[in-house]
Amino acid sequence: MRSGITRYITLFGTGVVFITAWWALAESKHNFAQFAGPGQVAVALGSLFTNSAISASLVPALKDTMVSIFFGFFLAVIVGIPIGVLMGRYIVADLVLDPWVNAWYSVPAIAFVPLVMNWTGLNYGGSIVIAFLIAVFSIILNVYSGVKNCSTTLLDTAASYRASEFQLLSKVMLPASLPQIMIGLRLGLSRAIEGVVISEMLYAAVGLGGMIDYSADHLQSATSDALIIILAIISLVLTGCLRILDRKMIGWKELDAR
Amino acid sequence: MGHDDKGIEDQSRTISAPNDQAMLERQTEEKRPAGRRTFPNFISGSLRARLAVFALTFLIFLSLWQLIASLTNNSLILAKPLPVFQALVNLLQDNVPRATEGLQNPTIAIVQTLEIVFLGFGLAAIVGIPIGILEGRWNFAAGIIDPWIDATHSIPIVALIPTLYFAIGGSFFAFVFIAFLLAVFSIIVNTQSGVKYSIGFLSDVGRSFRASELQFISKIVLPASMPDIITGLRVGLGRAILGAVLAQALLSGNGLGGMIVTFQDLYATPYTMATLLLIAVLGILVLQLPKQLEKRIFKGNEIFETL
Repeated sequence: MRSGITRYITLFGTGVVFITAWWALAESKHNFAQFAGPGQVAVALGSLFTNSAISASLVPALKDTMVSIFFGFFLAVIVGIPIGVLMGRYIVADLVLDPWVNAWYSVPAIAFVPLVMNWTGLNYGGSIVIAFLIAVFSIILNVYSGVKNCSTTLLDTAASYRASEFQLLSKVMLPASLPQIMIGLRLGLSRAIEGVVISEMLYAAVGLGGMIDYSADHLQSATSDALIIILAIISLVLTGCLRILDRKMIGWKELDAR
Repeated sequence: MGHDDKGIEDQSRTISAPNDQAMLERQTEEKRPAGRRTFPNFISGSLRARLAVFALTFLIFLSLWQLIASLTNNSLILAKPLPVFQALVNLLQDNVPRATEGLQNPTIAIVQTLEIVFLGFGLAAIVGIPIGILEGRWNFAAGIIDPWIDATHSIPIVALIPTLYFAIGGSFFAFVFIAFLLAVFSIIVNTQSGVKYSIGFLSDVGRSFRASELQFISKIVLPASMPDIITGLRVGLGRAILGAVLAQALLSGNGLGGMIVTFQDLYATPYTMATLLLIAVLGILVLQLPKQLEKRIFKGNEIFETL
């Protein structure tokens, strides 16, 4: 309906409007320490890479953040998918785990942070645990609903062909619930990123989140905004990778639905 | 792999279509169709069974907690259940430990946090639902707003909290704005997808009865997409709580977020954990509200659920 070109034109137009509004607001406040305009942020973004003193602390921060996101998400996936399948398939697991998963899912992420930091100390180990804790429940819940709502015609057919339990799980239920699983993974990834940033800002004072919080607290809002832009690019790239994977894996499903 | 799966699905559809009808008839006679025992869907545990199982698992949880705390044997890292519950009772009676003289009364802290949550969330609902409807109904609006929603959805907005706070100038409304910002996007996205996909053939019905745009939205679009809107409100409410508590923890000593940070800095671990429990329980309780709302709204609207 709307072609790619008009999409880019509207994106560009609204982008220009947004930046102009931002610039006007910053100029009218004229307090660049607290509210930097686009110009200052662009300069700060440049100096993140050219100024060797800043980039010396940026590189390890980037490494910490990426490592935490990756391991936290990875752990959440390898723990969350089996538990979700278990809950969707077996009524006993459903009865036992469902209230707990739902309850923990509703707990605001920040509640985990102090307790976890007590165990791990103020470093990226804590960020990994928190990313895991926050991401795992949305993965479990999505896999659970995907497997549970797997169409009964598919299951009946598989049963009438005498599929074993393992075949049923691996050849029918998992492929059929793949779209829902991918939604879970996408939500889980953005929640993992969020968890890492939260724990870094609150306590760990390492990584990108720590740097963002530090520079905002010291009234270097331009630097803080520049770091946020870097973080945004990282998370756009990561979620973009998952989206491509999504399209590759369940493209057939969309075709089927049409 | 794609072709095989599609084949299975198609085949099953043609074969089992009459069987479904038979199954349905049998189900009305006896509650448990014999051939389907291996599939979990038909047993949905009764409420009493669920409660009993939950009580049991809760006991297991408590004893595990006690066990791990005794093994760690370090009340600074992990307090035992009993002191934590004692601390919780103390907090609820405004009875804070002596070292934290400057701290707010816990009940005032709870009220303050809830104020921020509900103001921010209310604003987000007032702004988010109309934008979502606009986006779902008119492609032009979707073309303008969509890319931005996509982008902000995949960026951790929590990172904006410190900068935003200082940019706004750090008042009560800065907190409300942060809660608003965290909540509004999930409300917009869910409303939009509800409006776009849940109407189905109802849009033809509305058109053939010559419904005006206003009637169309208020009588067809809103009721039909209510489940999605409620989901959006639920997610948004959770995010508003997160935003409020996080902003308080990062930026001020007030509210529940401030309480956590204060107790943690003092290593008053039972009190930290009691505050965590408080936040957790509050989060779980508050998130029940949209569910209750949904039940109320759907009393007269079952017809839309079957579509």
